Order: sequence, then structure tokens, then C-alpha cells
Amino acid sequence: MTPERHFWLPYFITAIALVILILIAALVRITHLARTQAKALKKSNENLKNEIKDRMHAEETKQKLEVALLQGQKLQAMGTLAGGIAHDFNNILYAIIGYTGMAREDVDQQSLVHKNLGKVIDAAHRGQDLVARILAFSRKQHHHFDPLNLKETIEAALSLLRPTIPAGTLLDFHPIEADVLGNKTQLHQVLVNLINNAVDAMDGEGTIDIRMSRVLANDTFLKQFPDARQKNYCKIELKDTGHGMDQHTMERIFEPFFTTKQVGKGTGLGLSIVHSIVKEHEGEIIVSSQLGKGSTFIILLPEYSV
Amino acid sequence: MAKILLVEDDDLVRDMLTQVLQRADHEVTCASNGEEATECLRNETPDIMVTDIIMPKKSGITLISEVRTKHPNLDIIAISGGGRLDPSGYLDLSETLGASVSFEKPIDNTALLMAIDLLMHGQKVTDKAT
Repeated sequence: MTPERHFWLPYFITAIALVILILIAALVRITHLARTQAKALKKSNENLKNEIKDRMHAEETKQKLEVALLQGQKLQAMGTLAGGIAHDFNNILYAIIGYTGMAREDVDQQSLVHKNLGKVIDAAHRGQDLVARILAFSRKQHHHFDPLNLKETIEAALSLLRPTIPAGTLLDFHPIEADVLGNKTQLHQVLVNLINNAVDAMDGEGTIDIRMSRVLANDTFLKQFPDARQKNYCKIELKDTGHGMDQHTMERIFEPFFTTKQVGKGTGLGLSIVHSIVKEHEGEIIVSSQLGKGSTFIILLPEYSV
Repeated sequence: MAKILLVEDDDLVRDMLTQVLQRADHEVTCASNGEEATECLRNETPDIMVTDIIMPKKSGITLISEVRTKHPNLDIIAISGGGRLDPSGYLDLSETLGASVSFEKPIDNTALLMAIDLLMHGQKVTDKAT
């Protein structure tokens, strides 16, 4: 082999080296591109997943809002209906009391008729109390509202209730310092009704946990309430370890005359009055429950600040 | 004895109240709504008008405000079973418009008769009776 015959060899090697270099560069570029695209794809996937999640969340919130709105309208319609019935019922009771009173005047005071007519009047007065409770649910009463320390208000209600609570029932209260604009008597009534219900649900044995906290105006928790405003709320969470309730009961729990108690043990007005009072305070109330595990009532009241 | 115009749309209540008032020796004229009451007042002026608030045709509130202008010396007792809105609100309004006293149904008839006696003797019944 003479050098003249292999003069092309260095050119060939250089060309091969160049091709290899170009291939390596291309490979690096392709790998980089593939990685970038994979990253972009992953990011796009994540975005898509987030979007789906957001949409599902928005749909869920929308559904919850619709349910809450429907429930609010239903309760309002029932209030109007109950108010109308109460008006007519007051007239009927008034006629019963009036006529019976006159009949009673006409008979011998020592007679059985006189005594029995007295019982008719007593029964009509019981009806009158019931109508007053229906009206408390249906009408927007103009109660006087004062700035109240919510912790002290709850403590005062608990001190009223403690003597009536069975020995086997533990009452835990976890307060925070917060003020609301409200009516002390009405808020006592809310707690008394809820705690009495919890005691009944536990058959006297168990724990009632009352926890206060603060929900800030921008908290997404507020999105489920159609009437909630952009402001801070005081949250009262009342949890019991009772027998809980099913979905059907939960949906109707704030309706007037809805009761799960035995005939004669409850009027079915307690929780509808609680709902009415909370709404009068521009607040919100919801319930969650699991059969056999207990129920949790959450009350939100707008926080008061000077 | 007082001449009383009783305005009440519920037949049962109107009849019962008529008997209660007559038993206490009062002279009673009845009307079943505000329009009928206005008609009665054209012919005769009673000492006292006892009127329901929620009534068809002309409500007790309208009646009271009209009567107060045309018959400034007529004593008015407002009664209401409430319910459709806020009865205490209606009754407060009736007193603002010029009712001397107001009662929420079912009324204690003894208190109603007492209020009529006080008004007949020229005394003011200041406390709202419920």
C-alpha cells in the first residue's frame, strides 16, 4: 500500500467522526426534546387533572348550593304556610276559649260540667302554646340584638343545662374569644334545643363536644352557603355520640313538625325554631350524621367587631 | 254600658265576642270587614270600635287610619291572631295609627272587658295587652 493509494483515509475518518458527532448531537437534542415534551405533557396532564378536579369541586359546590337554596325556600314556604295556619288556629282557639268560658259561667261552679269545661279551656291553652311556637318558627320577630361574647353566652346556657343532663353524659366545651351581634335568650334556646336533642339521641350515655372556632371571610367552607356573606364567622360545632340519623332524616330535620321522637315526646318544632333563630341572626346551620356514630351540627354566626 | 262596633271577619269569633260584650251589658253592632265598618260608621258613631286586623276587602290597619282622621274621639281596640306576618308588628302599627290598646288572640276576655270599662271612664290603657 502506498500513501498515494490511501490519501482519502484521513478524510474518511474525519467524515466518520463528523457523522458520529452529528449523530450524538442529534441524539442529545432528541433526548432533550423528548424530555421537554414529556415534562410539558406531564404538566398538561396535571393541569387537566386539576381542571377536572376544579370543575368537579365547582359542580359539587353548585349542587350543594342548589340543595341549600331549595331547602331554604322550602323552609320559608313552610313558615308562611305555618303562619297562615297559626292565624286561623288562633281564631278557632279563641272561639273555643270564649264560648267555653261563657258556658262555664252558666253552670254551677261545683258541678262536673263546670270542671270539665275548665279542662276544655286548659286544652285550648295548650293549643295556644303550640301556636305560639309555630309562630316563633314562621315569623320574623324583631328581637333586640346586642353585642355578645359568644363564649360567655354558651357558658351561661351550659350552666343552665348542666343540672338537667344525665350523669352518663359528658359535656366538653372548647371555647375561643369571639363576639356576635345577637339575642342572648334566643341563642340560649338554640343550645338548649340542640343539647336536649343530643342527650335524647344518646339515651343519656355519651359525649357532647362543643367546639368554637373562627371561619375567615375567604374560607372556601363558606361557599356551600348561598346566603353567606364576605365576612368572618364564629363557628360552633356540636358533636354527639348518639345513634345518628339517616339521609332522609337529615334532609328534613329542620322542617316544622318533623320528629323522630315517639308521639307525645316532641312537637317536631325544636330544630325548626333553632333554624329560624340562626337565620334571624344572619347565620347558617348544617348537620352531618352517621348512623350509629352520632351527629354534628355546625352553626355559623357573623362575627361582630367594633 | 258602651256602644261598640265590632269588626271581625271570622263568624265564630264575631258571634262569641258579641255574646261576651252583650253579657257585659254593652250594645253591639257587627261588621265583617273594614268596608262594612266604614258603612256602619256613616250612620252611627259608637263609643268604641273593636277591630280585627287581617280581614278581606279592607284591613284593620286601613280602617284604623281612616277612622282616626274622620272620628278623632272614637276609642279603638285592635285585636289580631297574627301569623301571616308579625302580629306584634301589626298591633304596634295599629297603636301607632291611633288604636288605644291592642290584644293578641286568643284574648283574655276579662282583660278586654276591663279595657272597655277603662276607656269608657276616660282612662288611658297604656300597656299593650297580650
